[in-house]
Amino acid sequence: MRSARTGRNGSVKDNPDHREPVLVARGISKAFGITQALSDVSVSFLPGEVHALMGENGAGKSTLGKVIAGLHKQDSGSVTLEGRELLPGSLDDAFAAGVRIVHQELAQCPNLSVAENLCLHDIPKKGFIVDFDEMRRRAEELVHQLDPSIDVTQPLGRLSPGRRQICQIAASLDKDAHGQNAARVIVFDEPTSSLSLTEASRLMEITRDLASQGLTIIYVSHRMSEIFTCCDRVSVLRDGQYVATNIVSEIDEPTLVEQMIGRRISTPGAKHTASSSDNGEGIEAEAIESLVGTSNSQEPHYDQPPRLILRDVCSPGKLNSISLKLYPGEILGVGGLVGAGRSELFDAIFGIDHRVTGSIVVDGDEICGKGTKAAIEAGVGLGYVPEDRRNQGLFFNLGIDENILAPIMPDICGLFGTRKLDDELARVQSRVDRFQIKTASLRETRPSELSGGNQQKLLIARWMSDRTKVLLLDEPTRGIDVGTKAEIYKLINEAADQGLAILLVSSEMPELLALSDRILVMGEGVIKGELRGSEMNQTNILTLATDESAVARAAH
Amino acid sequence: MLVIIMMMAVLSVYGAFNKVPEAKKIELGTDARVVLLDANGSEHEIGTIAKRNIATYRVIDTDGSKDYDAASVDRYDSTTRVIFQSRLKNKFFNSSNLFLILKDSSFFAIMAVGMTGVIILAGIDLSVGSIYGLSAIVGAMAISALPQDASIFIALPVGLAVCIAVGTMCGLANGSMSVGLRVHPFVITLGMMAALRGLTVVLPQEIYSTQSIGGFPTSFTSGFFKAKIAGVYPVPVIIMALVAAAGWFVLSRTVFGRRIFAIGGNETAAQYAGIPVGKVKILVYTITGALCGLSACIYLGYLGAAETNAGNAYELQVIAATVIGGASLMGGRGTAVGAVLGAIIIQLINNAMVIFSVDQSYNQIVMGAAIVIAVVIDQTKQRVQARRG
Repeated sequence: MRSARTGRNGSVKDNPDHREPVLVARGISKAFGITQALSDVSVSFLPGEVHALMGENGAGKSTLGKVIAGLHKQDSGSVTLEGRELLPGSLDDAFAAGVRIVHQELAQCPNLSVAENLCLHDIPKKGFIVDFDEMRRRAEELVHQLDPSIDVTQPLGRLSPGRRQICQIAASLDKDAHGQNAARVIVFDEPTSSLSLTEASRLMEITRDLASQGLTIIYVSHRMSEIFTCCDRVSVLRDGQYVATNIVSEIDEPTLVEQMIGRRISTPGAKHTASSSDNGEGIEAEAIESLVGTSNSQEPHYDQPPRLILRDVCSPGKLNSISLKLYPGEILGVGGLVGAGRSELFDAIFGIDHRVTGSIVVDGDEICGKGTKAAIEAGVGLGYVPEDRRNQGLFFNLGIDENILAPIMPDICGLFGTRKLDDELARVQSRVDRFQIKTASLRETRPSELSGGNQQKLLIARWMSDRTKVLLLDEPTRGIDVGTKAEIYKLINEAADQGLAILLVSSEMPELLALSDRILVMGEGVIKGELRGSEMNQTNILTLATDESAVARAAH
Repeated sequence: MLVIIMMMAVLSVYGAFNKVPEAKKIELGTDARVVLLDANGSEHEIGTIAKRNIATYRVIDTDGSKDYDAASVDRYDSTTRVIFQSRLKNKFFNSSNLFLILKDSSFFAIMAVGMTGVIILAGIDLSVGSIYGLSAIVGAMAISALPQDASIFIALPVGLAVCIAVGTMCGLANGSMSVGLRVHPFVITLGMMAALRGLTVVLPQEIYSTQSIGGFPTSFTSGFFKAKIAGVYPVPVIIMALVAAAGWFVLSRTVFGRRIFAIGGNETAAQYAGIPVGKVKILVYTITGALCGLSACIYLGYLGAAETNAGNAYELQVIAATVIGGASLMGGRGTAVGAVLGAIIIQLINNAMVIFSVDQSYNQIVMGAAIVIAVVIDQTKQRVQARRG
């Protein structure tokens, strides 16, 4: 490893010509609830550099960017701009000092013109009346240094995502209300996540341009190719901890990947081997494997016809030509980074996305474009445990019983839709027993009274029924404790042994590796590759997921 | 706009085939003399010719003579020296009918201008009808206390001031409660709608033991709000036009107006841009209340009395006018002129039902359908535009 690991004392050794840093983040810690997003992270940024913050999902790179821009308030630590400490968590103070953020959650007003959006904080006026000429002039001054073809009188909502992004960058270049303190440091938070390839490359040109004018750009991204195209230095975070700062021209991709996934890099291989990782430090991976156990002894039934076949499934702007086959008893993992299109794929299969084209066949029944009801009822029954159990999963106003029975209620009711309460209760009881859901009452208890793990088991219990033969699991163990994780792994493996075909999305690498029989890696809405057997390891998944050339191939 | 022109065209054509008689009196000067002509053009004195033989009534005075075709003349009354004329006119397209539509629209078009601001904010105000009713009753109490022969310079300012003050207070209450208590304006204004309506009924009962207050100075009614100019009553319509113009100007040209749009488009972004979101909201509700007061004042002057059920169910008409005029209930979109045109469309539909001699009971059905169709068309148009852009 060429770059020095400087730890918390900034990165003087990485500073090639000993320029004074313009902005220093020192000892930043930040927790959200029980999750420690950042712990004691220190990074310094030089004038005129594009400095990437890199890391896996949840590494804390975005949180650091937001703390610097005053969008989040740190629990401890300080952000200093040229010697002056910025008020923690104050967007105003950061803005006035010249620290800006380009961030999607701060999206503007789509119903107003570009010019109005740019001047919203300080609309030019003569008396009460808006000075539209002055507003237009100011907006053009800002926008046209980035893209002269943008008509600032157009409503912002009519622009393409790329141009909207450019307008946001233009807004961040504005001076403060007193016409002073132009931008010094701009944080780009995942700036290309919603852009096309051409738009992204235009954005990177702009980034380089701004840096050459002396601005410091903090570039939060997980896209390898962007780091190597437009960044000078890259700081890597992992699990909220600072790992290293490297000069981009002196580092290669594998080293960076290694830093991102850390010394825990381990190659557990297929789940059946259950061998511990090679260097003895894959503690978590090992732990996960021990949790998963070896109960899944049965091979998937590759000799039988596939339960689920996707051919050329496309959804405008989300998915591009997805094809896959899922066999009975198989757990097919889907890997990739945030925004790769994994949840979108599940929405497409389950009939939630109405603009899907192509062919989705479940046990011989074509269900593409027929909606969710058809998906649930198709041939063998499809189940979907979505990623966000709070918003997409559970009914928090209904009891445990109705939460479990919701999809099958029309089938088990009596004449004219009257409910058979005893019959229902028996079904619910057997399901609750099997999944060991700890609940005070089947009817009176609301999901909000359950622990996170029991909520998740409740949601899985809804779909993992006898009639379901294909199950889509999206982040099935997100935010739950280790004990419940083990239970869920056991349930998943048992179900697969009994012939259930499972499509699994997980951002937790060890979990994905340990459970899956095969892994598909997605990125940019396409499948970038398939990994089997010994190819299944963290490095290969990350390499495929961040590999831009795979996108280029898919685009042709 | 296009919709209005199309509706008017259809109604005009229908009206042209279904003419209605219009009575008209022509009063003759003292020096005028009437001569009757028969079909051959020979002159006869009054009383010397049978009515069915008269072809032309010729009026001769010092300036010369003027002929009236007998077909258009009902009769001539020689003692009062009046020619009673009746002629057929387009059932729809005539000045009195058109002004009737505009006048009927004006009461709630004025409120709809304020409602547009509220709806652009992604808010709603259900209490406009009740504010209108209360302003009218309180205003009526004040004006009826004035002497019958009070000058317009006293009656008009008193009426306007009282009505608008009441409306402003109610609007201020709406705005500050929904902002201050952080309760959705739907709930606040729903409560206000009921409470103010109750107050409107209770006040005249307690004070006058009556459901209606009248007896205003004539300078307030026929002297101003119901002044007849060129055969029509234009004052409410003129005020409506002024309010529409002011609404357009405020919404599209002032900083305040643009801030309303910003809040409706993205409240969080507006906050981050340093816009005083709460203040702007309160002001918008207050202005809406004031416009309800203004509208109530016109109603008082035009009808010369206030009833406790004035403005009942107006909130729905007002919201419908705003939405037909292109405002989005999701916020961020709407125009004052659109709201006024929406109000006119609603009255046009009402009028069309009369022109086509459809039973009034069917009005509600047609109106309901029209609102839904108008909004669906508008949204489709927006979606198509968005896709093209």
